[in-house]
Amino acid sequence: MARVQYSKLDRRHFPKIYLFLLPTLILFAMFYLWPIIQVLFTAFTKWDGFNSPKFDISNPFVNFLQLFKMRGFMPSLKNLFWWSLIAMTLHVGIGTLVGFLLAQKLKGWKFVRAVFMIPNVISSAAWAMIYRFIFNKDFGLLNGIIRTVNPNFAVNWFYESPAAFWAITFTWLFYAVIVTLIVLADLMAIPQELHEAAEIDGASGWKKTLKIDLPLCRNSIGTGVILSITSRIAMYENIALTSRGGPGNDTMGLAVLLVKSINDYNYGLANAIALMMFVFGILVMLLINRVFRMNDPVY
Amino acid sequence: MKKVLALVLAAMMLLGMMPFALADGVVSVTIPHYKTGENVGAIFFLPQVERFNALYEGKYHIEIEELTQDMYADKIQQLGQQRKLPVLVEGGNTEWIKNVVIPNNLFTDLAPFLAEHKEVADLLIESNLAYNTTEDGKVFSVALPVIRPMGMYYNGEMIDLGGKTPAEMSWDEFTEALGDNKIAFMTGENAWTTTLAFSSMIAVEEGGAELLRSHTIDKLYDFNQPAILNAVAKLQKILQNYASSNTVGAVYADAANAFMSKNAAVIANGSWMVGDFAEDGGKWSNGFDGSTVHGAVLPGNVALANTDGFGWWIPANASDAEKELGMAFIAFMNTPAELEAYMLAEGGVAPNLKVSDEYTEKAKASGLMYEYVNAVNADTIICPSFGDCVPSSVGDQEFGKLLPQLIDGTLTPEAFCAELTAAAEETRLN
Repeated sequence: MARVQYSKLDRRHFPKIYLFLLPTLILFAMFYLWPIIQVLFTAFTKWDGFNSPKFDISNPFVNFLQLFKMRGFMPSLKNLFWWSLIAMTLHVGIGTLVGFLLAQKLKGWKFVRAVFMIPNVISSAAWAMIYRFIFNKDFGLLNGIIRTVNPNFAVNWFYESPAAFWAITFTWLFYAVIVTLIVLADLMAIPQELHEAAEIDGASGWKKTLKIDLPLCRNSIGTGVILSITSRIAMYENIALTSRGGPGNDTMGLAVLLVKSINDYNYGLANAIALMMFVFGILVMLLINRVFRMNDPVY
Repeated sequence: MKKVLALVLAAMMLLGMMPFALADGVVSVTIPHYKTGENVGAIFFLPQVERFNALYEGKYHIEIEELTQDMYADKIQQLGQQRKLPVLVEGGNTEWIKNVVIPNNLFTDLAPFLAEHKEVADLLIESNLAYNTTEDGKVFSVALPVIRPMGMYYNGEMIDLGGKTPAEMSWDEFTEALGDNKIAFMTGENAWTTTLAFSSMIAVEEGGAELLRSHTIDKLYDFNQPAILNAVAKLQKILQNYASSNTVGAVYADAANAFMSKNAAVIANGSWMVGDFAEDGGKWSNGFDGSTVHGAVLPGNVALANTDGFGWWIPANASDAEKELGMAFIAFMNTPAELEAYMLAEGGVAPNLKVSDEYTEKAKASGLMYEYVNAVNADTIICPSFGDCVPSSVGDQEFGKLLPQLIDGTLTPEAFCAELTAAAEETRLN
């Protein structure tokens, strides 16, 4: 990529630009950067959260070793893998599909967009409670529907294996409005001339979607994938308020293990988990950036 | 004009954020507490705070910030980490207090207060005072001098105990008498009602009560012990045959609802629930008005009480004026009139308090409460509950999390105990 050349006039504005950036940078340093540095450091120490962290030079990876001994750790990695896969395919797929449908501006599209937004203004905690009723074994909506076909059906979705994994998955799978909005914004920004030129060349609607819209939405879809996977890495309420990681460790997540470690005053271990989540997030960003060529110009 | 308005609003926000303010010589503090809103403890606690405010009008004022019970210990812990503890704290997470608050002297020593207020010191339960006294003679907290043994409630209309009381029956005899009726168990939250019943099952095993009594301070990490294994086997059988249908995943409100709607005939809980279960509670359904509810100890003649607990304490970061307010509130709560009012509202007995005749009359008139409190007799096994004896994440999370698998048979009692042991081991710091 060619290096940007700044004019003398541009350079004269630099101090002002940096001045305006300063408050944001200070806030970022105070509330993000410093805690991240603390997490990085304390992840290698024994720390009860109050007394000074103790660094043992002979065993700097003590928390990470303990992490691998935790029974919930490997299942949480396995779950993260599958949830990430589902998120980047089905979840983002649903969000993108709705975005494309809304972009057709069919009658009532604004209403549909608003309705699709509603689940996102309800907190995850409230959703978890709602889903406890939907998946209730005795009077839950889902079992009720299934019983119309199979009267003896009785699955305790959040508490039986392997149903619990899917029950947790259902608590977030369809709520992809963020992806929809990002994709929709990108679709709206596509110059009309491109479509008109394609129509003159005899391109069908499907072809226009496939050859023009989808490639031009590459960045927004990539962003959607990053957002949905990082949400899975940090997913807590959906699990903690329903299955609590069970049955066994079937629905365990890294964030649940992190909170559990805090409850047991093992802040060093909690920060080792946080560090791992942070690294996973960065890796996902780098990987998706590369796969979707997000740094390359779209137009 | 806009600038003036913005400045005024900013100033108001700043004032609102201040934890306390001295206005006209009034020491005013805001303390977060869970005994608010729908919490059953609010019925007595909030009016008590108002009585205190009225008594000390112009001198002290306490405002209560609402918190849910589940959040309280965590919130206090977070405030402790920020060194912004409120002026008055009731209890908190045991391990945090033992490992962090006391070693770091984050509390105000209440020994001078007790020396000055002999009337309060004389009422305290000796073992509890000893528990709250540090090695160097400081007193960490003052707990109310009231023992509230926890038992259970049952619907006398639904079950026929053949003229016996649950205290005279074993769990086997009791469940046999239940017939097709159910017990309101739960696996959600901290599995409270299930934990209480389970505790009594441990207590009746050989050495079980001693095991529980000996682990309130040094927690239990090994659950592969005969008393616990046998109790888990019994619990599994009872859960599989006598648990209300909503047990798996049920939170306390679900368990209480099962009892109050006649979907369960029994629920284990403390005396403070009398307010909810009393006839005029207004929460009944299915043609049940609560008039046939009885209070009792748990089968096997077990009542659960833990005198090894923390009470009200004042953090070290409080100012002198705030500390005075805190001590005035602790003294106020421990006046005979307030203690009697507390016992009438939430039950319990104060062993060192000479109660008034008026109190005795009112207690007898309280019906269900009187029955509940007096279910304890000289032979009753009184011991702490299982939750008091295990690491917090085991009691609050792991136990309840594993119960569904115990119920569906995925876990045998041995496997259940092994899982609990492994979970407890994970809580140890390296």
